[in-house]
Amino acid sequence: MPDLELQRIRARKRLRVLLERVLIYLLLLLILVVSVYPFVWTFVTSLETSGGIFEFPPSLVPTDPSLRNYKEVFSLVPVARQVLNSLLLCVFGVGLSVAFCALAAYPLAKMNFPGRNFVFYAILATLVLPNEAGLIVNYVTTVKLGLLRPETGAVGQFAAIILPALPSTVGLFLLRQAYLAVPLELIEAARIDGASELTIWRRVMLPLTMPTIAAFSILQFVAIWNSFLWAVIVLRDRELYPLAAGLLDLAGAFATNTRAVSAGAIIQIIPILIIFFVFQRYFMRGLEGAVKG
Amino acid sequence: MNARLLRTLAIAYGFMLPMLALKAVYTFWPILFGTYLAFTEYNIISPPRWVGLRNFEELFGLGAFAGRGPDRDFWYGLTNSVKYVLVVPVIQILSIGLAMLVNRQLPAISLFRTAYYVPVVTSFAVVGLMWNWMYNQYGPVNFILTRLGLMNPDNPTNLLANPHLALYAVMFVTIWKGLGYYMVLYLAGLQSIDKSLEEAAVIDGAGRWQVFWNITLPGLRPTILVCSLLSTISAIKVFEEIFVMTSGGPAGSTYTAMYFVYAQAFQDFRYGYAAAAGLVIAAVSLIFGVINFRLTRGGSSS
Repeated sequence: MPDLELQRIRARKRLRVLLERVLIYLLLLLILVVSVYPFVWTFVTSLETSGGIFEFPPSLVPTDPSLRNYKEVFSLVPVARQVLNSLLLCVFGVGLSVAFCALAAYPLAKMNFPGRNFVFYAILATLVLPNEAGLIVNYVTTVKLGLLRPETGAVGQFAAIILPALPSTVGLFLLRQAYLAVPLELIEAARIDGASELTIWRRVMLPLTMPTIAAFSILQFVAIWNSFLWAVIVLRDRELYPLAAGLLDLAGAFATNTRAVSAGAIIQIIPILIIFFVFQRYFMRGLEGAVKG
Repeated sequence: MNARLLRTLAIAYGFMLPMLALKAVYTFWPILFGTYLAFTEYNIISPPRWVGLRNFEELFGLGAFAGRGPDRDFWYGLTNSVKYVLVVPVIQILSIGLAMLVNRQLPAISLFRTAYYVPVVTSFAVVGLMWNWMYNQYGPVNFILTRLGLMNPDNPTNLLANPHLALYAVMFVTIWKGLGYYMVLYLAGLQSIDKSLEEAAVIDGAGRWQVFWNITLPGLRPTILVCSLLSTISAIKVFEEIFVMTSGGPAGSTYTAMYFVYAQAFQDFRYGYAAAAGLVIAAVSLIFGVINFRLTRGGSSS
């Protein structure tokens, strides 16, 4: 019977789809384990206080969990101070770079003036232009600007860390893209009403591009919170280390104290994970936008 | 008319002033001054002294340095950095595959996407520490390797302590951390491909592989260019993962070109020599960039 035949074909097809799904989920789970397991291991180790750290097979749940390692980290290194340092760097770093990028992107998107394309493409070219001596010259510049002199204190050293991170090409690019979508009639209408360009920027452009600004802020926050190399090179004063740099310091000084170091690592990641999970949507948008052009 | 143009100019450049000033100091100046420094001897304290091509002669073992031969540390580092470019095809192929895997409507799929992205938002400081633990003699990686029969369970060795394998072990970490990033970019690329093209091909009787090869892959070409360019540039200048995980060891087996630049500048205070090395690495990086461009045919989707 053709009806029966059809049913059999359908059943076989359903089975194939089901089998394929099972395979896909198995693959997804395998990749999940590889991407997440190091975090799980670190978390478990940070909560354990007894037993072997490295053992076959590795443990998946902490035996006898406690927060003792976290207390210990606070006594080994000035964690609270380092968290504060990181927060200060992030607040100023994000605030200023958003402001500077948002300002600079406005004429590049909505004004006609000589040199516009040159400025834009010169900045864009720095994304792919190799600049391997950049680290050295920036260090020389920072020294010559006097930012590391003892009398400039913490402000000077913080400025030394944060200034190179402010002019973000990605930020400029994202904001220019967002401004381009703002209808010109809105701007013209405001101009006819006698609004100054700065007012238009503040009252028209910024409110209409808030999602992009949020996306870039989050990208920049994560970048600054996670960076350590420049701070390690530049900073004389370990008191001023951001958390990521402090963590390496801790790992160097107490290499054998894996439990305390793993607790430090968890402290460094947690704020990022919270921000990432809460603002995920913005995050992905920023990332995609940065590459689409 | 002229006054209006002047006004526009003043306003436009006024808006861009903070950005341009910082860009000039921290991005454009390093390119100029770094190039100049490469032809000098400089230790920051006394002013740079012009030495012509001497730094390059020392790097390449020419001229006054002909008897000593090329700087072995530098060439060793550069070789490792070029080897590191192996990461690029691997990470691109894996992330295209991963993007296609998660580019479907399935329950909980966004959960997986999010989880795959977590390594990307983690600092290399933490990633380096975690993977040092993973690679520990009795750590999870060796547990798996011994179970698979790839390592003697009675005497497991840390991969990062093995001069033949350490570089590859670090490469794995680079791939592990970067995969989610490229996945998101390819996901965006996949979603920009016209669905009707794929559907039309399927109706015409094309198999999955044919659809991938003739429609999906050409559609992804612009994304592939951008992604492979970005990942090549960062492979040549790989530094942070090395700095955190192995410091160039064991026996120099993970010593890279940028590690050489770092060591010359910040350990030996030879800023001119370091800048010269940086310039050579930049040239190598440019060459690889051009190769990339050629291989992806300029990223045009046709």
